[in-house]
Amino acid sequence: MAMSRLRRREALWFYAFVSPWVIGFLVFLLGPMISSIYLSMTDWDSFTPPKWVGLDNYVKLLTEDPVFWKALGNTFHYAAISVPLGLLIGLWLANLLNKQVRGRKLFRTLIYLPTLVPLVAASMAFRVVLAPSGPLNDVLGWVGISGPQWLLDPGWVKYALILLSVWGAGSATVLLLAAMRGIPQELYEAAEIDGAGPVRQFWSITVPQLTPVIFFNLVMGLIAAFQVFSQVYILTPKASQPGTYNASQTTVPYLFDQAFSYYHMGYASAISWLLFAVILVFTLLAFRTTRRWVFYETEVK
Amino acid sequence: MATVVSAGAPQKQHGEKHQDDGAKRTSDAPRVLRVFRATPFTYATLIVVSAILSTPLVFGVSIALSSDQTVSTNAFTIFPSEFRWENFTRVFGSDLPMGRFLVNSLIISVGSVIGQMVSSGLVGYAFARLRAPGKNVMFLVVIATMMIPTQITMIPQFILFKDLGWVNTYLPLIVPNFFSNAFNVFLVRQFVSRLPSELDEAAMVDGLGFFGIYRRIMLPMLWPVLIAIGIFTLTYNWGDFMGPLIYLNDESKMPLALGVQYITTTGVAGQPPPWNLVMVGSILLTLPMIAVYYLGQRYLYEMDISGGSAGVK
Repeated sequence: MAMSRLRRREALWFYAFVSPWVIGFLVFLLGPMISSIYLSMTDWDSFTPPKWVGLDNYVKLLTEDPVFWKALGNTFHYAAISVPLGLLIGLWLANLLNKQVRGRKLFRTLIYLPTLVPLVAASMAFRVVLAPSGPLNDVLGWVGISGPQWLLDPGWVKYALILLSVWGAGSATVLLLAAMRGIPQELYEAAEIDGAGPVRQFWSITVPQLTPVIFFNLVMGLIAAFQVFSQVYILTPKASQPGTYNASQTTVPYLFDQAFSYYHMGYASAISWLLFAVILVFTLLAFRTTRRWVFYETEVK
Repeated sequence: MATVVSAGAPQKQHGEKHQDDGAKRTSDAPRVLRVFRATPFTYATLIVVSAILSTPLVFGVSIALSSDQTVSTNAFTIFPSEFRWENFTRVFGSDLPMGRFLVNSLIISVGSVIGQMVSSGLVGYAFARLRAPGKNVMFLVVIATMMIPTQITMIPQFILFKDLGWVNTYLPLIVPNFFSNAFNVFLVRQFVSRLPSELDEAAMVDGLGFFGIYRRIMLPMLWPVLIAIGIFTLTYNWGDFMGPLIYLNDESKMPLALGVQYITTTGVAGQPPPWNLVMVGSILLTLPMIAVYYLGQRYLYEMDISGGSAGVK
């Protein structure tokens, strides 16, 4: 009897302790989510009462809104290049740093430093670096390439954003380097005895051993890239300006504009659910295909 | 080149500090495996890459030290060619509210950090140690919420805070942090699960209540994970741009991350923004992050988030 009273007391304390999360979940997540589903089926400017329109917003987005498709396409384009490229460069640099290099700490610091720069500050620096007569084009000029107008050229602005993202490859480098240090040395010793060269060892030992980490970072990186906002908002001209052709419009800035510039709250909510669907599909797809190419040590028995 | 060095290339431990410049440990060293040998090509690549990655930083500093004339003629150089250190005091003068921006950033960040540390500690501890009906289902919900992108709740939350009259105050940016977040709860729970349970059992026998156990026994041991959470929260809120952009309209209330961008948009038409002062602002925005990372590094490593596979294995 006493035991069960103690148990009850324990349970009550549990609910008391987790109450901040429960309240936060109801007020800031579940409530808003339900309200967002409802809003996405209304026409609402946030001042007058919402008008029920059913699935119209979704239909309009998917069939009549070329800017939405353009923004989605740009987002895919950005994510599909920046995330794998960042990981590849990270893998390459981590492999170099994993060798017996003198001054490893210094190199690692220099490579990691850009990732500590807040996005706003990084965007400011890149605004000047990517200026038509900025240092990047100066350097390209030395080797005889006349650089593009980067942020001002609709054809190049996406690559400017990708450059900014790849500047942060240091975070992948440090993560992968830490993981590389966990690979048992015996694997390399055995390969050495078998006569495998460094390149062969890299592809047959290092890469397979790292696939769980690479995979995790790929998925997380894609999710983050789909939600890119600050650098697009800061670095690229407003979509409403003539001559930009929405070249750099991506999903979240488009959502933001719809909600907070045009007060299309219902339409913007519908965009957020489509974005969620894309992220969800992608995450599930990524997890479904893991078996095929991710190596977990526990699988080898 | 550096082929004389020791064997200890990659090892299980993370303690690379100890084996960094391995030249000291030449004794009893078998030869370095070929994969771990650094060639001149290795060094050349690392030097070129480091140089390229550092260029925007060096250029930013160079701009921050430029005179107003250089700014108006756009005649910047990659390496500093003039040293107008007074730019760093000018931003605190009357013409720019950079000091105000900094104070606002501090208020928002510190408030958020306190909120997350207090709430995530309590919630994470409860999920790790206390037993109650429905706990496992609740924890599944915690994990599931990590998949919801913030954009879903952004608009209804804005409406909620607007109705509360909180727009143009710091509250929408600080208050939600007092209700913990899934990732931090998960971190604390994992951390507590690894602590021996004899201590709290003993305390229980001694008649300490559950809150007493948390406060007297758990809290002192939770510092590493709480500091890691503090670092994440600080980094996120210090650099957050979208939140302040949605909620803060008055220049006097903006944090530095928004303020720096704001001053590039408000200049006289046709005039370039004061890039030198903007860059000083960007440096002021960046330096605390470098300091926090440098000071907090060991807590982050202790959390073993460095492996990056926390959720996968």
